[in-house]
Amino acid sequence: MASKFGLAGGIPERRVRPIWDAIDSRQFKNALKHSTALLAKYPTSPYALALKAVILERMGKFDEALSVSLNAKELLYKNDSNLMDDLTLSTLQIVFQRLDHLDLATSCYDHACGKFPNNLELMMGLFNCYVREYSFVKQQQTAIKMYKLVGEERFLLWAVCSIQLQVLCGNGGEKLLFLAEGLLKKHVASHSLHEPEALIVYISILEQQAKYGDALEILSKLGSLLMIEVDKLRMQGRLLARQGDFAAAAKIYEKILQLSSDDWECFLHYLSCLLEDESSWCNGATDDPIHTKKFVDCKLSHLTDEVFDSRILDASNFVQKLQADTSNNFLRCPYLGNLEIERRKLLYGKNNDDELMESLMQYFSRFGHLACFTSDVEKFLLVLSPDKKTKFQEKLMGNSSSLSTEPIKALGQSITLLKIQELIGNMYKLPVVVSLKSYVILKLPVLPLELESSAVQMLEMYLKNLPLSKDLDLQESMHGEELLSMASNVLVQLFCRTRNFGYFMEAIMVLEFGLIIRRKFVVGNNACTCGRCGRYVWQYKILLVHLYSHLGALSLAYEWYKALDGKNILMETVSHHILPQMLVSPLWMDLNNLLIDYLKFMDEHFRESADLTFLAYRHRNYSKVIEFVQFKERLQRSNQYLMARVESPILQLKQNADNIEEEESVLESLKSGIHFLELSKEIGSKSLTFNEDWQSRPWWTPTPEKNYLLGPFEGISYCPKENLVEEREANVRRVVERKSLLPRMIYLSIQSASASLKENLKVNGSMSDQNISSELKHLLGQYAKMLGFSLSDAIEVVMGVSKGQKSFETFGADMIDWLDFAVFLNAWNLNSHEVMQPNVDGSGPCTWHIVNSLLKKCILERIGSMESHICSPQSDLPSLVQLVTEPLAWHNLVMQSCVRSSLPSGKKKKKSGCTDQSPLSHTVRDSIQSICGLVEEVAKWLKHHINRSEDENLDIILSSVRRDEGPGRIFQILETSNATINETELGDRISQALKSWSPIGVAMKIIRGQRTVLEKFLGICESKIKSLQALQHQMAQV
Amino acid sequence: MTTIRRFCCNDLLRFTSVNLDHLTETFNMSFYMTYLARWPDYFHVAEGPVMGKVEGQGESWHGHVTAVTVSPEYRRQQLAKKLMNLLEDISDKIDKAYFVDLFVRASNTPAIKMYEKLGYVIYRRVLRYYSGEEDGLDMRKALSRDVEKKSMIPLKRPVTPDELEYD
Repeated sequence: MASKFGLAGGIPERRVRPIWDAIDSRQFKNALKHSTALLAKYPTSPYALALKAVILERMGKFDEALSVSLNAKELLYKNDSNLMDDLTLSTLQIVFQRLDHLDLATSCYDHACGKFPNNLELMMGLFNCYVREYSFVKQQQTAIKMYKLVGEERFLLWAVCSIQLQVLCGNGGEKLLFLAEGLLKKHVASHSLHEPEALIVYISILEQQAKYGDALEILSKLGSLLMIEVDKLRMQGRLLARQGDFAAAAKIYEKILQLSSDDWECFLHYLSCLLEDESSWCNGATDDPIHTKKFVDCKLSHLTDEVFDSRILDASNFVQKLQADTSNNFLRCPYLGNLEIERRKLLYGKNNDDELMESLMQYFSRFGHLACFTSDVEKFLLVLSPDKKTKFQEKLMGNSSSLSTEPIKALGQSITLLKIQELIGNMYKLPVVVSLKSYVILKLPVLPLELESSAVQMLEMYLKNLPLSKDLDLQESMHGEELLSMASNVLVQLFCRTRNFGYFMEAIMVLEFGLIIRRKFVVGNNACTCGRCGRYVWQYKILLVHLYSHLGALSLAYEWYKALDGKNILMETVSHHILPQMLVSPLWMDLNNLLIDYLKFMDEHFRESADLTFLAYRHRNYSKVIEFVQFKERLQRSNQYLMARVESPILQLKQNADNIEEEESVLESLKSGIHFLELSKEIGSKSLTFNEDWQSRPWWTPTPEKNYLLGPFEGISYCPKENLVEEREANVRRVVERKSLLPRMIYLSIQSASASLKENLKVNGSMSDQNISSELKHLLGQYAKMLGFSLSDAIEVVMGVSKGQKSFETFGADMIDWLDFAVFLNAWNLNSHEVMQPNVDGSGPCTWHIVNSLLKKCILERIGSMESHICSPQSDLPSLVQLVTEPLAWHNLVMQSCVRSSLPSGKKKKKSGCTDQSPLSHTVRDSIQSICGLVEEVAKWLKHHINRSEDENLDIILSSVRRDEGPGRIFQILETSNATINETELGDRISQALKSWSPIGVAMKIIRGQRTVLEKFLGICESKIKSLQALQHQMAQV
Repeated sequence: MTTIRRFCCNDLLRFTSVNLDHLTETFNMSFYMTYLARWPDYFHVAEGPVMGKVEGQGESWHGHVTAVTVSPEYRRQQLAKKLMNLLEDISDKIDKAYFVDLFVRASNTPAIKMYEKLGYVIYRRVLRYYSGEEDGLDMRKALSRDVEKKSMIPLKRPVTPDELEYD
C-alpha cells in the first residue's frame, strides 16, 4: 500500500506517507491521529476522507467507515475534475469492497470514466470493479472501449474472456462466441497475436464452436507462440481427433510419445485414434474432473477385422519400439500400453482372457513390487470374468516362489499379492476360520485360506520386515507400511461378519501400533509432541478417525482428525471424515471450531477470488481467468458448504436453547430465519458439487451415509466407491432443504406459543396472530411434504405413533425430523387450535401429549438399548444426543415461551384465560415436569456409565481380545512385540518406539475418549434440567 | 498411469493424499492461485505437483522451485526428478535464466539428498527461515546461461531471512 504514492487530490506525499505507514504496521490509532490532522488542513479532500475510512474500517468501525466513504464519494462527484484520480478511487474501492459495497465502488469508477472518457487507468479500474462483481457483460463493454482506445491485444483478450464467461458461467448464448471469434479474426488479420495465452483462448473459442479446421489453421499459423512443444502437439492431436482426422491425430500422438514416453493419457488418445474411437473426446468425457473413473470408456470399433488387426499391430509395434528405446526401468507407460492393447482386443473379441492375463503376469514381473501396481492394473482386471480373476490370482500365487531375491522388492511383491486379493474381492469370500485339517490338505503356499490368518500374516510380514527400514529417515515412509492398514481392514471385516468386538479392538490396536513405530522419540523415550512429528502415516489416522467414531470415542477421533492438519483446501476435501459425526455429537465447541474454520476458509476464497482473477487478466494468463471463475462457482455449489451454512446457525440455536432470551437474540441475528427459507427454496434447482476425497475412506463406510458395519454382512463384496454421488446428491438436497426451514420454524413456534397467551399481539410491529399461524402452517405443510406426506396425513402419523396405533418404524430413518415436526405442530396448534383441544380440565389427548409421549418413548427406548456402552460400537448415542438437543430443546423453547407469556409482569396483564385453572397452564406444567423427568433419566444413565471404574472398563476391553477362541491372535503378537527386541537389527529409533508400545495405554485412551463424550452430553443435560427446573419454579408462581 | 501436464484449479481437489503427507505443505488458496495467475508454465502436475516461478534481475534472473511432491504410491520412481527437470528446462530454454534455486528444511535429509543427486548444491544456509524456528537451505543449480557456474559457488556464511533478495 505504501508504494501507491503520488500527488493525491493535491496532497503532498510527505503528509500521506505516515498514515499509510501506520496502517501498514497496524497502528490504527496513530493513523487516525495523522488523518485528523490531514483533514484539518484538507477538509474537503476526498482522498483524505478515503484514508480516514480505510483506518476506520480496519478498526472495525464499519458504520463510521461507510459514512465517511460516502462523504468522500459525494465530494468526489461534486469536486473539480482534477481531483478525480485513480489513487483516491482505488482507496475508496478498498473500503467499499471490505464493507461489502462493491456497487458503490463501481459507481465511483463509472462516474469517473464518464467524466474522463479517455483515461485508460480509470477504465482499467472500472473493469476491475466489474470483475469483482462478476458482471461479465459490463466487463466486455469496458474492455472493448479500452481496446478501441489503444488497440492493444490484451484488452481485446479481456473482452474475449468476458464473452467466454458469459457463455460458460452466465446466461450468454453460444452465438456470442461467434462475436468473439470475429473480434479475434479481425485483430489477427491486422496485428497477428503475440501472447501464447491469446492463442490458447482463440483456439478454445473455435473449439467450443466445433470449428476444428479453423482452429488447426490458426495453430499452424501461430503455434510457434507456444513454447512447450508437447503442449502444442497435444492441442493439435486433440483438434485433429475431434475433427475426425484420426490418422493424422495418431501420428501427432506418436510424436508426443516419442518425446515423452511415459505419458499415459497420450497413449490412450493414440490408441483411440488408431481404432477410430472418439469416446475420449466426446462431451461429457470430463464431466467430473475430480473423481476420475477407474474404468476408461471405449467404444467398440466399427472397423473391419482386417483393419482392426493391422491397426492393433501398428500399436503393438510402436509400443515395443518405445520399450526398446528406453533404458529407464521406471517407465511404465509402454508396458501398460501393452495391457491396454490386450484389453481392447479382448473387448473386440480378438483374444481371450488368457492373453490379457499373460500380459498382466508380465507386468507383475516387471512392476509387481511397486506400490502403484494394483491401481495400475485395476481397470484391466475389471474386464476379466470373476473366474478369470481368481485364476489370475492363483497364477500369481503360483509364481510366488519366484519372488525377487532383493528383500525390499520381495516385500513389495508380497504386498501386491495381498492387495490383488483384496481388490478382486476374494478377501470378502474367505471363511472366518477354517479347520486345521482342511488347511493341511489344501497346503496353500502364500495366502492363508481364512481371514484371521490373513490379518496375522500381514502383521507378521510387517514386523519381520521392520529391519528393512532401520536406516530410513524418520520422515520417510517405512517399507510395508500399508500392511497394517490392510490388516486393520481385514479385522474390521471379521468384526462385521462375527460381531465379535475383539476383532474391532484389534483393528484399532494394529493402527495405533503403527503410529507408535513412526513417532519421534526424544531423550528419555518421551514421544515428541511437536505438531509435525505427529503427522506421520495419515492413512492410519483416517482409519482410526472412523473406528473411534464408530466406537463412540468421538473426542479421540477428533484428536486424530486434527493431527491430519487438514487446513486450507483440505478442509473441503477431508472434512467429511469427521464433520457428519460431529454434527450429531455433544462436542459442540469442537464442532463450532470445525464449522467456523471451514466457512471462514470458503468465504475468504470467495472474497479474494475476483482479485486473483484480475491478477490473471493483468498477467495475460487468460485461460486462468476462465478457470478461476469456474472454480469459484464449483466451490460455491459445494454440498458441504451449503450444509455447513445451514448447520452453523442450527448449532447456535442448539447451544442457546435453554434460555429463550439468548435464543431470541440468535434468531434476531439470523433475521428470524428468513434467509434460510430462501436457501431451502433454491437448493432444489442448484446443481451441487462433491469435492470430497472418497478414496481415503475405509471400505466399510464409502460415504458418510453408508456404514456397512450397521447392516448384515451378506451382500458386501468388493465395494466399488463409484456411482455414489447421485445418491448423495439427493440426500444432501433433502437434508439442506429440511434443515434450512428449522430456524424459521423455531422462531415462529416461539411466537405462536407466546401469542396463544398474550392479549395484544401487535406490539412493536411484531407479526400478527394470524400471520404466525398461517406461515407456520405453510411451513409445516412443506416439512410434511419433505417427509413424504400431506400435512393432514403427517398429523395422522404422529398421532398414531404417539398413541401406539402405529409403530415407530413408520418414522424410519427420519425419526428426528418427525419429532421436530410434532414439536412445531404443537406450537402451531397452541395458537390455531386447528388440530385438537384438551378437555376443560386439561386432560385428554392434545398435541402437548403427542410431543411428550413421543419424546418419552424414543428416549427411553434408546437408553434401554444401550446397556453396555463401552464395547458396543455405534450405539444409539448419536440419536439420543440428537433427540435431547434438537426436538426436546425446541419443545423446551415452546414451553419457555408459554411460561414467559403467562407470567404477570409490570404493565402486561395476564390473559384472562391463563389463570392457575386454565387447561393450558395445567398442560404446560405437566409437560415441563414430564420433560424434566425425562432429561433426568438420561442424566442418570450417563452418570452410571461415567462413574463406572476405569478398571472395570479396561477388563471389558481386554477380555474381548484375550480369549481362547476368536480374536486374540493379533493382540497377542502386538502385546509381545516388544518382549524380544533385537536392537542391532532394528536400529535405535524403531527399538525405542517398540519399547514404548503399550496396548493397555490405548485401551485407557479409548475409555477416556468415550467418557469425554458422555461428560459433554451430561453437561448439556444438566443445563437443560436447570432450565426446566427454573420453568417449574416460575410456573409455581403463576 | 502417469501424465505430466499443466496444473489447473481442479487439481487442488484431486491431490488430497499428497497434501495429507507430512512433508507436503498445503498452502492457502491465494498462494496457489497467484502462482497459477502469474507463472502457469511453472506449475505442472504428475502424481503430485511441482510449482515455481521465475524472478530476479541481471545475473540473478532465475527459476525458483517453490514446491515439489509426489504421491506416496508413486514414490521411488524418479517422478520428482522428471518434474524438476521440466521446470529446469523451462527456466533454461524459455526464460533463459541463469540458475534454478529452492529452499528446503535443514532437517529434511531425504529431500536434500535427492536434490543433490539432481545436481543442486547447498548455496547458503538461511537462519530460522521456516516460521522463525528451523533453518532453511538455499540450494542451487546453474543453467546453461551461467557458463562458469558462478551462481552455485556456496556462500561461506549463513544469512538471515531479511537478507534474502526474494521470498
